[in-house]
Amino acid sequence: MDASQRPEMTEHQKQQLQFQLFQDSLPKVNEIVYRMLLNEAIPMAVNVQDRLSEESGGHEDNETEQGLEQDLDAKLTFDPLKDHVPSHKLLQKYLTADEEYQNKVDERLNNIGFLLGQKLSQLLIFSNNPSLNFRDMDLLAVMKFVCRDVWRQLFGKQIDNLKTNHRGTFYLLDNNYKPVESFALDEDMSQEEQTLIEPYLEIPCGVIRGVLDSLGFQEKGQVICTASITSDRESQKTGSSASSRAVLFNVQINPDR
Amino acid sequence: MALYSFWIFDRHCNCIFDREWTLKTNPSSGTTNSKLNEDTAKLLYGMVFSLRSISQKLGSKGSFNEIRTIATGKYRAHILCTASGLWFILLSDLGQEDLSQVLRYLYSEIYVKTVVYNWLSPVDFADSPNERRGQGFRKIRNRQFLLAVEKFLGPMVN
Repeated sequence: MDASQRPEMTEHQKQQLQFQLFQDSLPKVNEIVYRMLLNEAIPMAVNVQDRLSEESGGHEDNETEQGLEQDLDAKLTFDPLKDHVPSHKLLQKYLTADEEYQNKVDERLNNIGFLLGQKLSQLLIFSNNPSLNFRDMDLLAVMKFVCRDVWRQLFGKQIDNLKTNHRGTFYLLDNNYKPVESFALDEDMSQEEQTLIEPYLEIPCGVIRGVLDSLGFQEKGQVICTASITSDRESQKTGSSASSRAVLFNVQINPDR
Repeated sequence: MALYSFWIFDRHCNCIFDREWTLKTNPSSGTTNSKLNEDTAKLLYGMVFSLRSISQKLGSKGSFNEIRTIATGKYRAHILCTASGLWFILLSDLGQEDLSQVLRYLYSEIYVKTVVYNWLSPVDFADSPNERRGQGFRKIRNRQFLLAVEKFLGPMVN
């Protein structure tokens, strides 16, 4: 910008320019890619679990020269599509697997969410308000932070409804849970679809756990977070088959002992 | 304005979705993903394929000459070919000059949002190698896609 133009700008324009510069300087990432990455975590967890159980299944190592050669061959050639399984097939695998397997996948996802939550809270507190003192805040304020800032950062919206009994139990209701917004299997909503959506709720559960962990609720088992799909009340009224799914997060925080 | 039918073909020459309306007055009439339409689908595919290759040969070298509409004495076919090899085809009466906006919407707002973003549904509808030569039988059956198509194209049928 020319120096000669500068005096002609009003105060308001200057502020606008400054705000624009600030906006441009913020790190940006494509929203679609981010959402896809977040969704892809579930097939990935299934795949990891699959490979682990394959390896522990015990394949014998043959120590012969030929075996070594083959081994070397396998290590030197790289074929990205060799054991490639499409995501929807991995999800089908999750559907047909037994409960122990499903629980292991869920736990893996929960841990991913936990780490994400820990880091996210550091970032949010730093970028939003570094002087915020969480020590003096009560539990409700902390949960409000989860509902507002954390959710907005993760899913681009706030939690729709927060309920509490003031004794450490919180209900967080999200009327339109974004990641599974466009998920549908067949003509009718089925039990299978419900089962397939459930692992998608593990990551936010972990995130809530992680955020609370970094805000001082660190004891093991102090925070219990579960999530369930509830049928959307509004869509039941209109009678249309819901395109948005309501998810209820149930957070139980035990007081300090 | 009248629409007669709507088709989607994938890059393996398979018809992955078809919707045919039979009564002008009733947008919910007709068939969806019908077995009876298999032969019609193949004929339609062949017609578009041949005319598409002609149009590409007649275009000057290096230029992009994609077919948009084919008009016959009775109807007009509107075609959208995507870079990933999907074909969206709408058959309408002769009154419609250009439905490319409609096709673009069907692709970007309906197909992408309900099939591509949907982790439960496959993106490539040919599962095994022997389904890749036009022998595939899989169709888009997911609820949200069917609903969105009905909702968007329904008012344009009569």
